[in-house]
Amino acid sequence: MIKVTNLTVKYKDLVAVDSISFEVKKGEIFGIIGPNGAGKTSAIECLEGLKKSSGGEASVMGINPANRRELYEYIGVQLQEASFPDSIKVKELCKLFSSFYKNPADYNALLERFNLADKKNAYVKKLSGGQRQKISVVVALIANPQIIFLDELTTGLDPQARIDMWELIKSLRDEGKTILMTTHFMEEAEYLCDRVCLMVKSKIAAIGTVKELVEQAQLSQKISFTSKKTDREALEGIPGITKITEANGVYNLYGNGKNLLRDVVLYITEKNIDFEDLSCSKPGLEDVFLKLTGYSLGAAI
Amino acid sequence: MKAFLTMSVTEFRLSIRNFVYMFFAFVFPPMMLLLFGAMYGNDPTPFYNGRGAVDVLTPGYIGMILAVSGIMGLPMQLAEYRQHKVLKRFKATPISTGTIMIPHFVVNSVLCIIGTLILMIVGKLVFNLHFSGNIFYFMATYVLSMMSIFSIGFLIAAIAPNNRAASAIAYLVYFPMLFLSGAMMPLQLMPKAIVNISRFMPLTYCVEILQKTWAGDPLSASFGTAIIILAAISIVCTVVSIKIFRWE
Repeated sequence: MIKVTNLTVKYKDLVAVDSISFEVKKGEIFGIIGPNGAGKTSAIECLEGLKKSSGGEASVMGINPANRRELYEYIGVQLQEASFPDSIKVKELCKLFSSFYKNPADYNALLERFNLADKKNAYVKKLSGGQRQKISVVVALIANPQIIFLDELTTGLDPQARIDMWELIKSLRDEGKTILMTTHFMEEAEYLCDRVCLMVKSKIAAIGTVKELVEQAQLSQKISFTSKKTDREALEGIPGITKITEANGVYNLYGNGKNLLRDVVLYITEKNIDFEDLSCSKPGLEDVFLKLTGYSLGAAI
Repeated sequence: MKAFLTMSVTEFRLSIRNFVYMFFAFVFPPMMLLLFGAMYGNDPTPFYNGRGAVDVLTPGYIGMILAVSGIMGLPMQLAEYRQHKVLKRFKATPISTGTIMIPHFVVNSVLCIIGTLILMIVGKLVFNLHFSGNIFYFMATYVLSMMSIFSIGFLIAAIAPNNRAASAIAYLVYFPMLFLSGAMMPLQLMPKAIVNISRFMPLTYCVEILQKTWAGDPLSASFGTAIIILAAISIVCTVVSIKIFRWE
């Protein structure tokens, strides 16, 4: 659906996007993730035909994004920080955008689906942040798009509104829409995206499914428990464990392997080692990011 | 076409929800007319070459309506739309740039015409306003005046980096022009110094040609000069604005 080859975006001397390449397949949610200023918005706006590229190629459903008016017959977008006219009502906004397309989607059905049917006569600026973002998605869907571009859709939303939005995006994907989104929330990318590309300092640092990225990064799982009657030596020899730390009776075991937790539990039960508060944490995107860049995304924001 | 019409109707609705704009376009000019009409009446006086004060003031107030719409309404709307990325959002649809921009000019023109009609109706009802010119000449000068004033507004929208700057420039252009152009008060009442300054105000030429075609004065050389100046302003400002206008 989307093919990007060595795409570069420059503002005077600043390189915002440095020769990135990726492909988005039909029916997937593809996420561009990275800290603010990584070049996510520049990249996505280039594909939306709103920014000129300085080099490389991009094709969206076979269309060069520079052909804006042709492109927008097939795609729907939500732009970061873009708003609607100050004193427009929800219904007026929907009618207006419906008039832009040859075959617009039925906005009444969309408002119904997004739980906004009772807000038809409300002013857009009077809606809550979550409702306004839903309106941006409704407006994007009026285009009856095959590809939906979402730029930082959930930034600034409270947790409940964010989770609602995740479900809506998933349901769109399940209908067969292709979604290209940017986010700087790792848990959002982990939950939503079929594939992600990690963008750091204008370049793509890694690309793949979340699972693949975690595997590629060869990150350790961490298994923790509290034990009063054992010591570190007694724990050495568990298959797959590469590192053990201990502080105040809390043991952290690091290692790799599919059956790591089972092996650890088997071992300590066999050896009659007492344990409490056993937990296992698998590495996630956040850890991949940390490993690739040397800093945590949380700290970067 | 459907997009253009819906856009125009929507923009019209949004404009009439703007209370300040509506006040200055629809209420303030008739208020001024009522105030000065009550003071000077509309009896013929030698001071205005045998015309009534209201008949002379009205074309000036029409110029005031054009200025409110073109210098204040238009650039503030466009700057606001750019700042809040509304223009960018519209660009992210299949409509043409003309469909995004032209409705702003259409809607402000329609609002000017409505404001002008309200002013004329009030003048007629209260002071028995006279129109003694040729209606087609008057309409032609009205359109030229509107084009020149709107092109200045467009230029303000194009050069202002954000909507605060746009309002600041709009106020800086609008108020001096209003008082120093004869739109608010006839230049006959002004000292020589102000009359000289008024020669640098585009609105002065609008008021001049509107007054002349309203009164049916014979077309003089200064009338021709005013037409040329306004046509030149329209062309230059429009071309420059189109060249430098930024969408975000």
